[in-house]
Amino acid sequence: MEENYGGDVLAGPGGGGGGLGPVDVPSARLTKYIVLLCFTKFLKAVGLFESYDLLKVVHIVQFIFILKLGTAFFMVLFQKPFSSGKSITKRQWIKIFKHAIAGCIISLLWFFGLTLCGPLRTLLLFEHSDIVVISLLSVLFTSSGGGPAKTRGAAFFIIAVICLLLFDNDDLMAKMAEHPEGHHDSALTHMLYTAIAFLGVADHKGGVLLLVLALCCKVGFHTASRKLSIDVGGAKRLQALSQIVSVLLLCPWVIVLSVTTESKVDSWFSLIMPFTTVIFFVMILDFYVESICSVKMEVYKCARYGSFPIFISALLFGNFWTHPITDQLRAMNKAAHQESTEHVLSGGVVVSAVFFILSANILSSPSKRGQKGTLIGYSPEGTPLYNFMGDAFQHSSQSIPRFIKESLKQILEENDSRQIFYFLCLNLLFTFVELFYGVLTNSLGLISDGFHMLFDCSALVMGLFAALMSRWKATRIFSYGYGRIEILSGFINGLFLVVIAFFVFMESVARLIDPPELDTHMLTPVSVGGLIVNLIGICAFSHAHSHSHGASQGSCHSSDHSHSHHVHGHSDHGHGHSHSHGSAGKGMNANMRGVFLHVLADTLGSIGVIVSTILIEQFGWFIADPLCSLFIAVLIFLSVVPLIKDACQVLLLRLPPEHEKELHVALEKLQKIEGLISYRDPHFWRHSASIVAGTIHIQVTSDVLEQRIVQQVTGILKDAGVNNLTIQVEKEAYFQHMSGLSTGFHDVLTMTKQMESMKYYKDGTYIM
Amino acid sequence: MGTIHLFRKPQRSFFGKLLQEFRLVAADRRSWKILLFGAINLTCTGFLLMWCSSTNSIALTAYTYLTIFDLFSLITCLISYWVMMRKPSPAYSFGFERLEVLAVFASTVLAQLGALFILKESAERFLEQPEIHTGRLLVGTFVALSFNLFTMLSIRNKPFAYVSEAASTSWLQEHVADLSRSLCGIIPGLSSIFLPRMNPFVLIDLAGAFALCITYMLIEINNYFAVDTASAIAIALMTFGTMYPMSVYSGKVLLQTTPPHVIGQLDKLIREAGSVHVRIRRDANEQMVLAHVTNRLYTLVSTLTVQIFKDDWIRPALLSGPVAANVLNFSDHHVIPMPPLKGTDDSNPVTSTPTKPSSPPPEFSFNTPGKNVSPVILLNTQTRPFGLGLNHGHAPYSSVLNQGLGVPGIGATHGFRTGFTNIPSRYGTNNRIGQPRP
Repeated sequence: MEENYGGDVLAGPGGGGGGLGPVDVPSARLTKYIVLLCFTKFLKAVGLFESYDLLKVVHIVQFIFILKLGTAFFMVLFQKPFSSGKSITKRQWIKIFKHAIAGCIISLLWFFGLTLCGPLRTLLLFEHSDIVVISLLSVLFTSSGGGPAKTRGAAFFIIAVICLLLFDNDDLMAKMAEHPEGHHDSALTHMLYTAIAFLGVADHKGGVLLLVLALCCKVGFHTASRKLSIDVGGAKRLQALSQIVSVLLLCPWVIVLSVTTESKVDSWFSLIMPFTTVIFFVMILDFYVESICSVKMEVYKCARYGSFPIFISALLFGNFWTHPITDQLRAMNKAAHQESTEHVLSGGVVVSAVFFILSANILSSPSKRGQKGTLIGYSPEGTPLYNFMGDAFQHSSQSIPRFIKESLKQILEENDSRQIFYFLCLNLLFTFVELFYGVLTNSLGLISDGFHMLFDCSALVMGLFAALMSRWKATRIFSYGYGRIEILSGFINGLFLVVIAFFVFMESVARLIDPPELDTHMLTPVSVGGLIVNLIGICAFSHAHSHSHGASQGSCHSSDHSHSHHVHGHSDHGHGHSHSHGSAGKGMNANMRGVFLHVLADTLGSIGVIVSTILIEQFGWFIADPLCSLFIAVLIFLSVVPLIKDACQVLLLRLPPEHEKELHVALEKLQKIEGLISYRDPHFWRHSASIVAGTIHIQVTSDVLEQRIVQQVTGILKDAGVNNLTIQVEKEAYFQHMSGLSTGFHDVLTMTKQMESMKYYKDGTYIM
Repeated sequence: MGTIHLFRKPQRSFFGKLLQEFRLVAADRRSWKILLFGAINLTCTGFLLMWCSSTNSIALTAYTYLTIFDLFSLITCLISYWVMMRKPSPAYSFGFERLEVLAVFASTVLAQLGALFILKESAERFLEQPEIHTGRLLVGTFVALSFNLFTMLSIRNKPFAYVSEAASTSWLQEHVADLSRSLCGIIPGLSSIFLPRMNPFVLIDLAGAFALCITYMLIEINNYFAVDTASAIAIALMTFGTMYPMSVYSGKVLLQTTPPHVIGQLDKLIREAGSVHVRIRRDANEQMVLAHVTNRLYTLVSTLTVQIFKDDWIRPALLSGPVAANVLNFSDHHVIPMPPLKGTDDSNPVTSTPTKPSSPPPEFSFNTPGKNVSPVILLNTQTRPFGLGLNHGHAPYSSVLNQGLGVPGIGATHGFRTGFTNIPSRYGTNNRIGQPRP
């Protein structure tokens, strides 16, 4: 995974952004720091296991108070925050006060999580460095995560958390469940317990969630306190001051606590030793070593070398902590022969530990930014130029409510999309009512029917999108405009229906062979509801169908307006248009046909269900159900074939069948134009519902005005229904120029052949 | 047996014709192999579907759909052979190459629809997880895997090979490429197998088989039946990931969009054209302009049509009334803008058309850049003052072309050197021949 391209390459410290790849500082210099870091992390794991044991007897607030007290004491000794450095203003004191409060809350969450789900899981969840969490969050919540590797790391992290949540059979769960709301030491823990119980998860899972929350808080806290630490004069001084303030903060609470509740501790004296180890290992040593390492090494390396030993040692201790061998290691021998049933190693934990290690490794690796750029051209030297600004420009889009409002407005603007939208809303409403009722009555049939409806709704959504997109303006990529999307969407909808018909067919064949017993009592109301919804849809869409013919002129005309730049020639354009439509005889475009067929298929399904239910209930013919579905499958299929065929023809750029005759006539008429010798490469195709495009090359005699010929040819072909025409007018001179310009031998050959023919024609015309 | 039916049915209406064409294709020796594989595929799929229903595993069903997709790809391959034999007919004036694209599009979309169906089924299964029998699970996996790999590696499927190379990478490929890059850092020899990008079909076959093996293991060990549903979802998502870029690519071809590899070059050309001030006097030689533009775009676009459009022609025509209105519909034409000609004082309706940046030619079928081009119209105005663009001009050349066409600023970009810098000499000789009229 690491990319050490030669450790002996000369480079300065922090030379991560070198030419070929990350370049290391000579590893020998770093080794001692790495070893130190590993050792510290190991000790931290020991300290956390120790503190879990301590927390069994000491109250959590007391524990944190003692921890903070000890840390503050030592840090004041080391740092001397009052005697050295510049004096601290009042405003900074307020900030330090806030810092201390936040620090207390986070450590409270952390240790409470520790009591809930044990040291092993706490270590796995909480001991991630900031850089890991930040890159995780950036992958999850921003689009520019930094390549597939980071995505993988984030996926691993999530899988690991899910493993801890779902596949970890923690034995303590059962134990805790016995006294869920039993004795809780204080109001605070009681509150947290009730919060977790309110969420409806087991305590141990609640702990996992709590720790994830605390982790995010920690990262935010560290990021926020960075500026303050510079103001105050170093992170260490800030830490020392903050610890003192938090001790003062916690002091009254602890006093109240120790007065009101009786302590479970036998002798505080025996706890001095464990507390000292915890204070040293967890708080002081870790803090100092990390601050040294982050200075000496790069941050990502620090994170990587730090995370690995702590997870491994957590796994080891998780297995061996209560083992007799390690009893000597433990500073607190009180529970030496206690049964080790709580928070033991399980398969889920091991798997999630592996995933955590992997994800920490991936996420902490330096991100290679700037890999995505769009090629914008070439520099004069010939090196490619890329544009990296694309992201920044794209992100400056409008707000979500406004976006929704605008797209709604667009949808409601036109008839097709409005109908699809209303019907989609109706369908979704029905689906959710069905799902809700299914969940309420716990009926599987209803829920699965709801899923089926959702599946169908996807076709409607696609139709809606196509209807919307088809009105977009032409861009450089879509140089003819987006009208063709409707045809493609109709084609996909047709394929969708074929797939549905196929599955229904297969299912009914399987049932024909082995007819199952049916439970019919729930079927009728659902299918009647579905039938009503679909009948409404059919009425709406067929209404459009019958009226679209009359309305076609207006609507198509306006749609043409929207994505074309007419300058003049409107009036006649409209005429040509309606003419073509009249001969086409199809009011609906492919998209609407697809949607309509979909609704029709659903209606057929509902009718089939009702009929078969009646047959089964009245006569007990269980064979009726598969027969009905067989019939419906065939019907759906037969109804969809014409749609697919038409869409295929358009997609294959076939000569539009409805214009075929007129075009032949027009081409014949073309040859009678004065001065026109011949034409070649006549291509005509339907581009979208409203556009018939064509290209043609014509050869003319050299004494004809090109533009006049263009005008005449355009006129003739427009009468034949072609409304997007390109004409290349070629004279003899053109072929001569081309033969001069073109380099290939074959090109010249074909050109001269054309010229020959032209000469021949010319001679002929001259003779005539 | 239902598997053929999915594809054959749409063509049943002209069944006799189909049979005839089929005979035509079957005459070719190369297609025998494909037919053989198709037959094996059918039996294989039949067995797999049987095992699917006997194991009740939806993951295996999702994997079986990949085998059915293989069948589609074989059919696509047959179609591409057929297309090679067919000549353009009057109705299909561009020829049948587009059928290949349509077949690729249809098969990728069908695979995605199958994946969608799997997703829906597995959503239902999450509610009530049925029991999975592992008996034939592993056997089915390995039969399907070996058959898929065998088909992929032994048949040279031209359309799919092209699409999988030309389309953008799927997320699956990206992850594998990323992993293998770091792997190749350790073992450099592997780079020949993994590195640029793996074949997406091989990749999804292997990944699906891997998911099924994990399913088998976990069910055998722990009876985690939910793993089956989870891996079905994983396979469906991988199918989506693999097929989506390909269907987008072929769909864009079907939508007659400008192919991305052309657009960069074309931008360069148009920018060039922007600095080439095609200025035509009233008596200028239109044919020469046409020849030049054609020559430039010819390398990019195989079927090219260029319409020349003269400004001063329209103005009288416009005034003359109905004829012009009937003819001139410039709405969908694209105008190569002439940058320095921004004399806004003249409110000519044509030149004040919002100029679209360029008119990239749409792609016709795979590998044949832009048959059927959308119209390129050169606006040439001659009533305007001219001369802004000439300051970086190429004096000798423009003097050669003084007759009607001023082409300054050529050769600044290296892309044109091959095509154009050697022209003036040759063109100069032609010039005299080619232009009889002064």
